[in-house]
Order: sequence, then C-alpha cells, then structure tokens
Amino acid sequence: MQRATLLPYVMILPSVALAIWIIGYPIYDVAHTSLHDVNRFGQVREFAGIANFAALWADPIAIASFWRTLIWTVAVVGGTIVVSVPIALMLDDDFIGQGLARVIVMLPWAVSLAMTAIVWRWTLNGQYGMLNATLFNLGLLDGPVEWLATAEVAFPVMIAIGILVSIPFTVTVFLGGLASLPRDIFEAARIDGATAWQRFTQLTLPLLRPFINIAIVLNIIYVFNSFPIIWVLTQGDPANSTDILVTYLYKLAFRYGRLDVAAAMSLVMFAALLAFTIVYAWMVMRGRQAEAAET
Amino acid sequence: MSRLQKSAVYWLCLSPLAVVILLPYAVMLSTALKPRAEVLSFPPTWIGSELRFANFAEMWASTGFGPSLAASLIVSAAATVVCLLVAIPAAYALARLRFRGRTLYAQLLLITQMLSPIVLVIGIFRLMAAMGLVDQLWALVLTYGAFNLAFAVWMLQSYFSTIPKELEEAAWIDGATGLQSLTLVFLPMALPAVAVTSIFVFIYSWNEFVLALTLMRSPDKFTLPLKIFSLVGGAYRIDWEYVMAATFLASVPVAIVFSWLQRYLVRGLSVGSVK
Amino acid sequence: MKNLSRSLMAATAAMALVASAAPGSASAAEVRVVVAHYSDATQEIFRGMAADFMEANPEITVVIENVSWDNLQQRLTTDIAGGTAPDIAIIGTRWLVDYVANDIAEPLDACVTDEVKGRFIETFLAPSVIDGVTYGLPVAASARAMYYNIDLLAEVGYEEPPTTWDEVIEVATALKEAGHYGFGLQGKEIETDAYWYYALWSHGGDLFEDGASGIASEAAIEAASLYKAMIDEGLTQPDPTGFNRQDVEALLKQGRVGMILSGPWLRGQMAEEAPDVNYGIAAIPMGTEQATYGVTDSIMMFASSGVKEEACRFLTEAAFTDEWRREFTVREGFLPVFKSVAEDPAFADDPQLRAFTEMLPYARFAPLVPDWELMADTTSAALQNIYLGNAEPAAALEEAAARIDSLLQ
Repeated sequence: MQRATLLPYVMILPSVALAIWIIGYPIYDVAHTSLHDVNRFGQVREFAGIANFAALWADPIAIASFWRTLIWTVAVVGGTIVVSVPIALMLDDDFIGQGLARVIVMLPWAVSLAMTAIVWRWTLNGQYGMLNATLFNLGLLDGPVEWLATAEVAFPVMIAIGILVSIPFTVTVFLGGLASLPRDIFEAARIDGATAWQRFTQLTLPLLRPFINIAIVLNIIYVFNSFPIIWVLTQGDPANSTDILVTYLYKLAFRYGRLDVAAAMSLVMFAALLAFTIVYAWMVMRGRQAEAAET
Repeated sequence: MSRLQKSAVYWLCLSPLAVVILLPYAVMLSTALKPRAEVLSFPPTWIGSELRFANFAEMWASTGFGPSLAASLIVSAAATVVCLLVAIPAAYALARLRFRGRTLYAQLLLITQMLSPIVLVIGIFRLMAAMGLVDQLWALVLTYGAFNLAFAVWMLQSYFSTIPKELEEAAWIDGATGLQSLTLVFLPMALPAVAVTSIFVFIYSWNEFVLALTLMRSPDKFTLPLKIFSLVGGAYRIDWEYVMAATFLASVPVAIVFSWLQRYLVRGLSVGSVK
Repeated sequence: MKNLSRSLMAATAAMALVASAAPGSASAAEVRVVVAHYSDATQEIFRGMAADFMEANPEITVVIENVSWDNLQQRLTTDIAGGTAPDIAIIGTRWLVDYVANDIAEPLDACVTDEVKGRFIETFLAPSVIDGVTYGLPVAASARAMYYNIDLLAEVGYEEPPTTWDEVIEVATALKEAGHYGFGLQGKEIETDAYWYYALWSHGGDLFEDGASGIASEAAIEAASLYKAMIDEGLTQPDPTGFNRQDVEALLKQGRVGMILSGPWLRGQMAEEAPDVNYGIAAIPMGTEQATYGVTDSIMMFASSGVKEEACRFLTEAAFTDEWRREFTVREGFLPVFKSVAEDPAFADDPQLRAFTEMLPYARFAPLVPDWELMADTTSAALQNIYLGNAEPAAALEEAAARIDSLLQ
C-alpha cells in the first residue's frame, strides 16, 4: 500500500524538478533583481524597495505599452478564434483537396516567427517590397504605400500577421477536439432532422467549448508574450507608437541597461497574466456549474 | 450539395487565407533566385533576368547554413525526448491516479505555462552561466523541455483520460503486472497522443528565437532562426537574396515533414478515438 | 512510429557526442576575442591575425568569436552579468563610459606604450581616452559625407553638388519637378537621431551645452524645421518614418534619389550592387558651419580577464600592426586609424576617400555620457513625431530635452 501512495509522487517528481530548476530559479532571480538597484551588467547593488516599480509607473511609454498590449492581445486572439473555428470545421469535413488544404493552413507554423517577420518586413517594404509591386501591377495602387511608416497602418498589419501565425496552432487544437467528438450523435441528430446550423450551434460548439477555452487561454499567453513580429517589423517605431510590453521590456533591459526596472516589468506582466488566468478559469468553472445546475 | 460543389465552396472560402499564407513563400523564392544587382531594382519584379540557383550554394557556403541545420535538428529532437520522458509519467499520474496535491501540481504547471522565456531571460541566462552551459546545446534542450512541460502534460493527460481504464484492468486480470499493462497495453494506445505532443514540442524548439539569441555564442551552434536573424542583424549590409534563400531552405523541410506527418496524424487520431 | 523513435534516439546520441567534444580543457593560456561582424570578411581577417600570432607564440591560443552588431551589446552585457566575459572585445566606443564607470574595462596604459599610441591618428584615439586614461584602441573609424547621384543632378542642370542646405533645397526642388526624390531622409531605427545631428551641428548647435541637453536650442529647432519643411514640400522621399538607414541607401542604389548622407561602407556596396549608378561624394551641407559625424569602434580589454598579458601582446603584436591594419581597412572599407595606413597610396590617392578624410577636422563624436542609448532613442522618437506631424518641432524637442536633462542628474 505504501508503494501505491508514493507512486504518483514518483511519477510527477521529474517534471517538478525540471520546472523548479529551469523556471523556478529564474523567477526567484528576477524577483530579487526587481527589488534591488542593479546596474547594466547585472551587478546587484543596494536594496531598492519598490523604487523600480515606481519608475515603471512613472514612465508614460510603459503605461502606453500596457494599453497597447491589451489591444494587441484581444485583437489577435479574438481574430484567431473567430477565423479558426470555420477553418477547422471545413478541414475536418471530407472534400476534394482536403489534405492539401490542411498542409497550406499549417504552413505558417513551419517557419519560425522570427523568419516569418523577416520575410514580411521584406515583402512590405514600400520601395522594393513585392506587396506594393503586386498591388501596383493589379492596378490597386497608384504609388508606393509605406506599410510600416505610421502606427495607424503598421499596427493593424502586424495584428493581421499575428492572427495568421496563430491560426495553425488553434486549428490543430480544434481538429483534435473535432476528432474526439462522438460521430454517432451527429448521425442521430441528422436522422432526427436537425439542420447543419442547428447541429453546429447545439452540438459542435458546446462539445468543442473545452477546446476553445484551452485555445483562448494558451493563445492569450503566447500573444501577450509575443516578441519577434513587432521587434523585427517596427521595433516599436515610430516614436514608440507600436511598442508592446515585451518589446519595451527588451529595450529597457538590453538597450538601455535598466535590468532592475525591466525585472519589475516582468513581474507586473506575470502578475497580470496570472490574474487573467485565475479569473478566466473561475468564469469557465462557474459556467460549467451553471450548466450542470440547469440539466 | 454534391461533394464537388462543397469542395468548390470550401476552396473559395479558404483561398484568401491560402494566398496570404503562400505569398511569403513566393517572395522568398523570387528574391532567393535573383542576381544580387537586381534585388533592389525598381520597380521590383517577381522574376529577375535569370533564375540564379547558385545563390543557394553560395548562401550555404558563406553563411554556414549546414551546421545550423544540424544544431536545430539536434536541439529540437533532444528537447522533444527530454520533455516527453518527463511529461509521460506525470500525465499518467494526473489522468489515472488520485493523490493529495494533485490540484496544486496542476496549478504549478499552469503557472510555468504562463511564463514566456523572454520575461525570464535574464534569470535563465544567469542560471545557465552558473552551470557552465552557455553556448552548449544542452542549455537550449533543457529550457525548451521545461517551457513545453506544462503543455505536454496537459495534452497527454487529456488524451490519456479518454483511453478506457477497463483495458488495463483486463490486462491485470489476465495476470499482467502494473508495468506490463502500462507498456504493453496503455502506451501503444497512447502513441497517437505521444506523436501529436512530440510534434508540438519539436516545432516549438525548431522555431524558438529569444533563448537561442541569449544563450548561444558560436555561429556554428546557432539554430536556424538565430542564423537567419544574424544575416539581417548587421547594421551595415543585408544580402537579401541569401536571407531569403536561407529562410526558404529552413522552412521547406519542416513543411515537407508536416505534410507527411499530417496524414499520419489523421490516422493516429482516428485509431485513438476507437471506443 | 518506430522509425521516429529510433531517429530520436540517434539524435540524442549525436547530441551527447557534440556535448563531449566541446572545448574547455585548454592547457595553455587561451585568449577569447569577440569581434563585431562588419562583413563576411571580418572573421577571416581576425582568424588570420590569430593564426599569425599563435605561430609566433605557440603557448597561447587565440579564439575568435564573431557577433553581429545588433546582438553585440546585449551579448557582452549578458556575458558580463553571467561572469563569462571574453578577454578582449570590439565595442562601440561610446559604450566605454558605462564599462569604465562599472570597473569592467581594464586601463590599457600599462600595455600600450607611447610608441604604439603614436601609430594612431589622434582624432580617432581621443574618444577612447577617458579622464586621461586610455581604455580602448580604435579599430574601425568612419566619418559621414553626402552621396549624390551625378547623372540625376546633371539632368536638372547641376554640375556641382550643393554645399549648403539652401542649395540642397534648390537642387531637391528641381529634382522633385523632374519626378525624382530630392533628399533621402532617414526616419526610423538605428541612427535616426544621427541623421538629424548633421543638420543640428551645421546650424551651430550641439548635443550638450553647459551640461544640459542642447537638442531644444534655437539651432536645433531650426534644423528640425528644415527637415520638416522639406518633407512637407515633397523634397524628400514620402513617409520618411518608413525608411531606416539601409532603405535610404537602397534609394541611392536604385538611382532614384539625388542626395543622401552616409558613411564609407556604402562605397563597396555601390560597386557590387549598383555598378551602373554614377555617384559622387561631397561634404555634408553647411548651414552656418561645417560638420560631420565621426564614429569609432574600439577594442577593449576586460578587467576580469585572467590572461591580460597575453591579450595585450595579441593587441600590440598582431591586431595593431601596420600589416593587419592595412588588411582590415582595405577589406572592410573603413577610414584608416593608423597614420601609416592613411599615407598609403591606396588611401591617400583615392578621391572618394579624401571627401571623408577632408571632413575629419570638423568631425563630432557621440558624447561619452551614461545612458546615451536612451537619450538617442528619446531624440529619435521626438524627431519621428515631428516628421509625422504629430508635434511641433519646438514642443517635441523641448520635451525630449527635459527627459534627457533628467537622465543627466
């Protein structure tokens, strides 16, 4: 009996050890840094209390980046989910060229975000990029458009790229979900005369909801922390008008040498994500309880 | 609606997306095949005066692409193995066994999932430096493994709980030991899940950028994203035809593996969902 | 699946081999040198130096590590933080201030004799000397000048390049009417601020005046208003905030812009990528005075190095010899930092290079103040707001100057 009670702990032990080693210790290190005066080279000097957090609060660029991060996250994740559900439904269905369509939709995944961003930067270049050249040839443009010169254009373009690269992962989660749905229920519903729309709203969506929830949570975490797209395309330019928290964090830490303030920012970001996840998990759970109470 | 009609409608819906997805590949190939003097010509054209395939060979020689390809393959494969070796028992415990602290453990995993490497990059670097792992591929293997742990455990656990317990119990009744039922009955059934999870971890490792940027030093140990970034990172000069040739070569193998795995995945998933 | 797992196992085995083959057990002294990736030739040149040096000194191993510019500062910063700093590195000379303030840079006066110091052109050595102590040796130097398209200017009736900003406006107006871009203006990323300092300095302004930021002075507002007026009049390319340094240079390579400001590295690129563009090089246009931006990169030694003596010998006996300086300067296309190299016919008789070297007496260097990167980005952001029309020059520059002043305290 002793062995049976120990067994689960033995089984989770390697994962706990790895997580504490590679992730836990750096958390401690970052927290320690955020409470001290630390120079550009990471040499820790005196205890600073909350001075680094105060500096962050007083920095208008940091505050603006925070709000922009919210817009960025909501727009990219929302767009991704809305686009991915119909795509997954189509790809799950049997049609001519289904295999090819799946491969195409998954392709952005095959390229690293950094590389995708580099290619898009080159494609979007106003003077020698192929996008302008193609639109010009099609008669849709009469002069070069500088896609990345102003935030009003650059930020939506980057959101669109963010959605594009988030689709493959999200569709894969949905496809996994659709594959696990019991086919016979759908068959029965069809025999009972349910329309395709009814089957979608009353069977597919509710059964898919756990997968949608997982996709939302994971995407929010990824997108909130997503660095390469904005870093490669605009570096937050012009005048910090496309900076989000992670790009500004990188500038603070590695360009301006403010490791201590950057560490404080890391903790704030972590706390924001933690708060979001707790609230979201609580909402999901309450929704489930409400459903259970109804039936 | 016939299958043909349905296919036409689906393809019509998917075509804008397909164009946007395929455009970068066309751009990559177009630029990669241009002679250097024409890369910046105005107005830009899709096809240069010649298709200069020599760019690929020159790029391979002058950028050290080969060692980076090897580094990427080694790191991604090893990180996948490390991650799964650690995640499979944990996922089994979560799916099958009840124990005190189970919720706490699940929450711990969720927290690790919320941290992006970029947020912890300062701390991770100091940890690796203290262990003498800077510029060692092991540093990437360990961090990629750790940052994928939570996701791998979740994925595996959710698949594991769909595998009927009765099969293992039947094996016990037939006289199999716990270990035997695990390796002979459970794991074969879980293989599709293991394969799917492996692909996730592998792709993450293949594409990761920030940690590689911080932890690697020698150009011959750069993973591919870092190698290509280093080609555009120079402040004075960018050879766009080499950059695009390198990006094309770095993404095509994954695309091919993808299209192959994809068929495998579909089959694996349908086998896994047999009740 | 079996195949997959077998190949994974094979990969793991390969991995273990790689790990065990890693270096680290050097018996003799090992000098680690981090060099900036100026071009694909950089690593080869430094490996050549190292090979020469190791042949003469078999007991010393010199390891060259090649790092891209974008990555260099972060790389060294994290290395210093993690205690894995190299022995010698190439750095941007302006970083020296932070290194010296934090006791990271080793004074070189014990290593470098007056004879060695005498090999350098004084203007380029001076920025590496802080409070009378030499902390770095200049390895690459550049000054900036104006590149102009001879054919485009001739097309609109100008045989000579403009020498003042008023003439620039005149020529650009003619070019605009002929359907070309007049003056190429950089508006984003690294050195956006520098592209404006030329105008600031030539209008008589300076970055710091009496210990405070000078970027909101009368001359500064005049300089910013000049650029903004040129944008509004269509005398620059449209939307300058979409153009980084390479984008502006590409306009010259495409033969579509009349005048741009750039450094000597562009000559080699023009020869290779745009051999048909007929261009000349002239001084930066004058306002009330002549000015250019001088930039040096330096080699410095880390105070944490355990092989200072060997590292010093590598510098004086290999890296900073006439032979290797000439090799580096010729192949990388920078300005000579050695008197002997500057007198070499290859440089002295090159009319294009003379356009750069003749500007050297007027060269200004980035000020050696802490937090320079933050100040430069603050200035760039203010300029971007001016170029975009989001803010008036005076208001934007005063706000940026106030931020810089707060950093100075």
